[in-house]
Amino acid sequence: MERLIEILSDLNPDVDYKTCTDLIDGHYLDSLSILSLIAELEDEFDVVIPTVEIIPNNFNSAAAMWKMINRLQEEE
Amino acid sequence: MKSYYSLTYFLAFIPLLMIIYSITPKKKRWFILLIASLIFSYSLSGKLIVYLISSIIVVYLSGIWLKKINDKCEKATENIDKEEKKIIKAKYNKKKKLILIGSILIHVGILIFLKYSEFFATNINTLFEALNINIHLPIPKFLLPIGISFYTLQAISYSIDVYRGLIPTEKHLGKVALYMSFFPQIMEGPICRYNETADSLYEGKSITYHNFTFGIQRIMYGILKKCVIADRLNPLITNIFTNYNEFNGGIIALGAIAYTIQLYMEFSGTMDIVIGTSEIFGIKLTENFQRPFASPTISEFWKRWHITLGSWFKDYIFYPISTSKPFRKLTLVLRKKLGNYYGPVLAGVTALFTVWLLNGFWHGVGWQYILFGLYHFCLILIGSLISPLIKKITDKLHINRNSKGYHIIQIIKVCILVFIGELIFRAEGLQACLNMLQSLFTNFSLSSFKDLSFLKLGIDCADYIIVGVTLIIIFIISHLEEKNINVRELIAKQNIILRWAIYYAFILFIIIFGAYGHGYVPVDPIYAQF
Repeated sequence: MERLIEILSDLNPDVDYKTCTDLIDGHYLDSLSILSLIAELEDEFDVVIPTVEIIPNNFNSAAAMWKMINRLQEEE
Repeated sequence: MKSYYSLTYFLAFIPLLMIIYSITPKKKRWFILLIASLIFSYSLSGKLIVYLISSIIVVYLSGIWLKKINDKCEKATENIDKEEKKIIKAKYNKKKKLILIGSILIHVGILIFLKYSEFFATNINTLFEALNINIHLPIPKFLLPIGISFYTLQAISYSIDVYRGLIPTEKHLGKVALYMSFFPQIMEGPICRYNETADSLYEGKSITYHNFTFGIQRIMYGILKKCVIADRLNPLITNIFTNYNEFNGGIIALGAIAYTIQLYMEFSGTMDIVIGTSEIFGIKLTENFQRPFASPTISEFWKRWHITLGSWFKDYIFYPISTSKPFRKLTLVLRKKLGNYYGPVLAGVTALFTVWLLNGFWHGVGWQYILFGLYHFCLILIGSLISPLIKKITDKLHINRNSKGYHIIQIIKVCILVFIGELIFRAEGLQACLNMLQSLFTNFSLSSFKDLSFLKLGIDCADYIIVGVTLIIIFIISHLEEKNINVRELIAKQNIILRWAIYYAFILFIIIFGAYGHGYVPVDPIYAQF
């Protein structure tokens, strides 16, 4: 989880990722940042994030992303 | 009934529907909404309703077919090992993909055939002429069913979501028909997803005092925007955009600003009526606007303006392209060379370009719409690319990016860029658009404002004052909403005398200051024409 927070902070350091729960709905991450994030997550956590998983519910908070990563790792 | 803005709609259609809906058992209410929706669609499009019905049948059948394959796949993969499961799943996925592609092709095919045949034939003929090829294609002309651009996108989203397993297949043809044709949204959207609206559409909620009054409030707000502002500005806008050759850049700028205001008031006002009408029946539709003129970047502007269209393009065009296998590989390689920020840019740019090309094309038939799409593509792209540079410069100059002053400058910048975009959008053809832009940048003058001749362009001083005062009221309401203050709840909490005094004042304001009668031609529902 800490590594995930580091990755997110690299993208936009002005956000408190431990508490923010509207990263997408609150416009903190735009589409290009999401692309960058997906590439980084896939590289770092050795998962493939399919297009169907790219929905606000999975990216609105660091916790939601972490949950998705764990789920995808289990499914692999 | 040719639109929501008619006495038949407000004084006959809605009240009658409310009575029939209320006396119908809860479980059957969705059916009443379906009948009302089909009657409404027929009153708008007449026999062309056949296209909507065809679309409903295609969507329904593709959904059922996808479900059958899913069921077969589940049975075939029961109690077998992981590797075998993957192979069988891949086999069934191929079949599913074929059905999905078929459904999409039928929908897009009908839309292109009806909406763009004339455009393509005309442009091919022009090309042939330029190349001295002696072939002349016949120019086909078709009547478009109202709302085809909107329900086609809803149909595609339903098929894709069923294919992706995000929503269950709806087994009842009538219920699919209601999702596709629900009368408040058939003309101008919002483009709702099945999982967002289906439950409330079929639930048959009772009409409560709260829903009724809140729905009426929202409808009145929409009428205020349309009748007091959009319609009142119409003579000025028509004059400037028709006779643009007669005006200097200052007046062209006035036209661009007035049209942007008109478009926002007409479209968001219609959305207020659409969402308010649904609210009466306890149905919550997706919001389409979130105070777009408070956006500090163009990218954010498009997340707040026509939200459901933007999110449709994002989910069904942008991400499928940018995260497709070839682009994933490319992004992986480029990230190592260009870094984390610029690495995914190529994938993003290709997807973004496709989105904005299609967005422009979706809006209308004409090169100016494509130019409009590409203009916004460039703005978003430049905004993204220079964002790290701006950060560096502002940090060096010790400019606080979170300060109010910086934020206001950003908002003004976005407004100016949007005004230019809407000028391109509204211009009557590509040549007119280029002439107007040339006049704006090379012949800019404030002389018409100094000698007050701008007051003789279709609307007078009183019109400007009425529009100005109404805009201030709307600005205050929007500002409070931006600060998360629910104005509607705030009014509802007041005592009965004050509450009804506000309601009556609102109604009187519309009656007195609405632009109707001699000298005014109300603006047609702008987005319904797309």
